[in-house]
Amino acid sequence: MIEIADLVKDTFRRLGLKIIAGDEGIHHTVGQRELNRPGLALAGFFELFQSERIQVIGNTELLFLNQMTESAREKILERLFAYPLPCVILTNRNTPPTQLTEIANRNAIPLLSTRLDTTELTFHLSHYLTDRFSPSESVHGTLVDVYGTGLLFTGRAGIGKSEIALDLVERGHRLVADDIVVITRKAPGILLGSGPEMLRHLLEIRGVGVIDIRQIFGVRAIRLQKRIETVVELTEWDGKEEYERIGLETVYKKILGIEIPSLRLPIYAGKNVTVIAETIALTLHLKVYGHNAAEELMNRQAVAMKQKRIISDYLRWDNE
Amino acid sequence: MISSEVTITNRLGLHARPASKLVQTAASGNSEVFLIRDNQRVNCRSILGVMLLAAEYGSTVRIEVAGPDEQDVMKRLIELVVNKFGEE
Repeated sequence: MIEIADLVKDTFRRLGLKIIAGDEGIHHTVGQRELNRPGLALAGFFELFQSERIQVIGNTELLFLNQMTESAREKILERLFAYPLPCVILTNRNTPPTQLTEIANRNAIPLLSTRLDTTELTFHLSHYLTDRFSPSESVHGTLVDVYGTGLLFTGRAGIGKSEIALDLVERGHRLVADDIVVITRKAPGILLGSGPEMLRHLLEIRGVGVIDIRQIFGVRAIRLQKRIETVVELTEWDGKEEYERIGLETVYKKILGIEIPSLRLPIYAGKNVTVIAETIALTLHLKVYGHNAAEELMNRQAVAMKQKRIISDYLRWDNE
Repeated sequence: MISSEVTITNRLGLHARPASKLVQTAASGNSEVFLIRDNQRVNCRSILGVMLLAAEYGSTVRIEVAGPDEQDVMKRLIELVVNKFGEE
């Protein structure tokens, strides 16, 4: 839930919302990211009216109000403002009819005004509200931007996630967060990861202590947030468990309801996880460009099988 | 060392998935496993090697197993091939 006062403050630079009436309701809250244009309500149709949403009055709604008789306008506005609206926004810096301000004041419902047109307002306000209402969760892991691909390393404490991150940073990649990654679901299908502010760009290396990546490697070694594209689950190699051998099938892991490609990487002494992490990122890039080594192998094998069959058929019937 | 000859009876031959299963089974025991087709001999724990054989439907492959549990591993390998790797 967001208070209207906070919404006005947070979006000031983008939306420049001004409170023109109903200041008393400034602590009302809004809990929905959708907006509503009350056109049909103004025409008297209140079925399914979304009163809990922010109401946007654009040029059309205003024109409609203005061409009404004074008593009709009074009546319909009274009816509209009887709902517990979070706030009402007038776009295009339009001047409200006096009744509108009066009724907003009387019902303590904030009436705001913006210089933006309705499309711009809808775009920016929806963006802000989506952002504020995005579900988020924090996971134990390390997020690194490797060649532009967000790799989230997970695995038990002490398996070496931070050390891998350090190694990757040393090779020119960028650290987003270590140990605690705050993941937020932004748009559908998109997970953004970042670190808690206090721990930002700090790493803990066992035996050394806490180190500051930004101070050591500079700004090019860090990144504030990154879309998570693949989960790399580090496991101890015990020689028994089965791991992906070809890579034809993609396994997914669900985070905040979104399926993220994930792979399990066994680690053991002498294994260079850093280079493998780079390879994972590059393989992903290749797939985007339409190349998949596993499929390539399948194709080559299919051709080989066909050829072998032709030759053996030929020899079988060749009774010379 | 024991060896046995099997015929590949699943329609798609020894492609990626059956190859993976074969490798898994070969790696599950404590014996060395080799696959031989024509003049090619590959380690059955290597997925790329197994795929290189390109053993198609109807082809014959020789399995060699050597080690303490060779009988057991061989039995499981043959079972897998006879059951068409769980495919058609």
